[in-house]
Amino acid sequence: MKKFEIFIVVVLLVGAVWAFTLDDVKRHVNERLTPCQLIDLTLSADKFITTDELAKRIMNNDPSIVLIDLRRKAEFDLYSLPGAINIPIENLLDEQYKAVLDQKTYTNVFFSNSSDLSAKAWMICTRMGYKNNYILQGGLNYWAETILRPTKPKQTAVNAEFVKYNFRRAASSYFVGTSVVDENKEVKNIAPAPAKGKKKEAAGGGCD
Amino acid sequence: MDRSKKYMNPYLAGFLIGLFMIAAYFFSGEGLGASGALKTTVVAATDVVAHDYAKEAEFFKRYVSSPDSVPIKTWLIFEVLGVIAGAILSAAIFGRLGSEIVKPPHITNKTRLIAAASGGLLFGIGSQLGRGCTSGMVMSGMSVLSLSGFIGLIAIFGGGYLIAYFFRKLWI
Amino acid sequence: MGPLFPTNIIGEELNLLLAFFIGIGFGFLLEAAGFTNTRKLAGVFYGYDFVVLKVFFSAAITAAIGIYLLSYYGYMDIKEIFYPQTYWIPTLVGGFIMAFGFIIGGFCPGTSICAAATGKLDAIVFVGGAIIGIFFYAFTYESLWMNLRQSGAMGEVNIAEWIGISQGLFIFLLTVVAAIAFYVVTIIQQRVTSKRDFKL
Repeated sequence: MKKFEIFIVVVLLVGAVWAFTLDDVKRHVNERLTPCQLIDLTLSADKFITTDELAKRIMNNDPSIVLIDLRRKAEFDLYSLPGAINIPIENLLDEQYKAVLDQKTYTNVFFSNSSDLSAKAWMICTRMGYKNNYILQGGLNYWAETILRPTKPKQTAVNAEFVKYNFRRAASSYFVGTSVVDENKEVKNIAPAPAKGKKKEAAGGGCD
Repeated sequence: MDRSKKYMNPYLAGFLIGLFMIAAYFFSGEGLGASGALKTTVVAATDVVAHDYAKEAEFFKRYVSSPDSVPIKTWLIFEVLGVIAGAILSAAIFGRLGSEIVKPPHITNKTRLIAAASGGLLFGIGSQLGRGCTSGMVMSGMSVLSLSGFIGLIAIFGGGYLIAYFFRKLWI
Repeated sequence: MGPLFPTNIIGEELNLLLAFFIGIGFGFLLEAAGFTNTRKLAGVFYGYDFVVLKVFFSAAITAAIGIYLLSYYGYMDIKEIFYPQTYWIPTLVGGFIMAFGFIIGGFCPGTSICAAATGKLDAIVFVGGAIIGIFFYAFTYESLWMNLRQSGAMGEVNIAEWIGISQGLFIFLLTVVAAIAFYVVTIIQQRVTSKRDFKL
């Protein structure tokens, strides 16, 4: 080998020794949050996704959404949201679900009957340093109330209420399965695809 | 024609590529890749020709279904455009630009082209299944000490050594 | 601080511009090191030219040391960068398919793009083959590949943690192994090429 080549190899070895003498960067442990950071995150409203928002994104076939049902298997088998996967909250930290929860590409939406279990799951995941996890506001109960069986606003209500109601009716027919032709048109107008998380999709990265 | 003298020292080239890799991670959080750009091209082409199919098919729907996403405008596409420009620049400087078929003397042009096409075909499939190619998965993966990078390294180069003997007629 | 784009320090336009310039550097160096010459690439498997191994390992080790030091001193949040997920089964199978592709075709995607840009006809054919391969994969994804591709999921696994040693030690061992390999392949290359002149 030439002197010049040996020089480069020696430079690399010096760098390697330097790296070796440092303490380990604890990739996962370091990412866990301090109590202060956890409070900030807990108090912010960003962790919720509304039923309307979720309905829009499912109807637009948003591929980045992953629905996670936290209830027991029996309840999950009985009824769940379309395409949801079941992770009973007791098994949340099982090794097999780590790849689902600890990732940067998809938007995970936790839900159960109310917001209760999902808030717990969100807290655990956030504490672990996992990102992109959200709570379905109000859970399945509120989903049924707003999306599956929307109530008509009073005649005196503001216009926005009616727009929302029309959307919900359209969504209802989408999820329940009755066809309401007129309102399907409506959906296209008021449901601009929420391409939220541009950055997330870009981070698909590398060669894949 | 003794071209080998004009090649850059491999250790120096590797060292500098490493620095560019660090830059890619530092500025953009991305590794250097290639097959991802080819895949993006395939996705974009399919999306243009058959949007309805792409929207539904399992492979494509991850990339195309949100209406305002432009699949072609990605980091890797711009990186690969740079790779093309950089390669042309270097070849022009070192006098290696020009149409030719590089092959061992005893191989016919036809054999070489068929082998290249079949090899490309296999690499296209393998890189999708393995989540990236030699640069995007193995080299970038090794840079961040990802286990998959090292598995890929063993599979590609270890596999290569295992089968090299059977294809030796193509090269020596 | 870093990475600058995922943490919104720089905008998308600048990010894509940087991608272009980083690509120029990558492409220039690949060409300059001889990666557009398919015989030099295949040489690594037959012992007459180890440029692939030399470039590949020096690049990966340089980057690994640099990224480790940057993240250790707090200049880069490693959680925000592209970190390949490990699916060991498809990576192993895909890697083996790629090994066939490499030996038969004489390129990998990155080098074939460089070589195609400089006018090598075999590289242009290789890129065409790769695109057809990806089309084939895409259209047969559901029936042939989907289950295989999702199998063996392990999440984001760091190899040093997986083995159970510190990352610094792993980088150090990798560098030592590479240095020894550099020395050994130099000797092998001398022996092989002294028996026969390959005239690359």
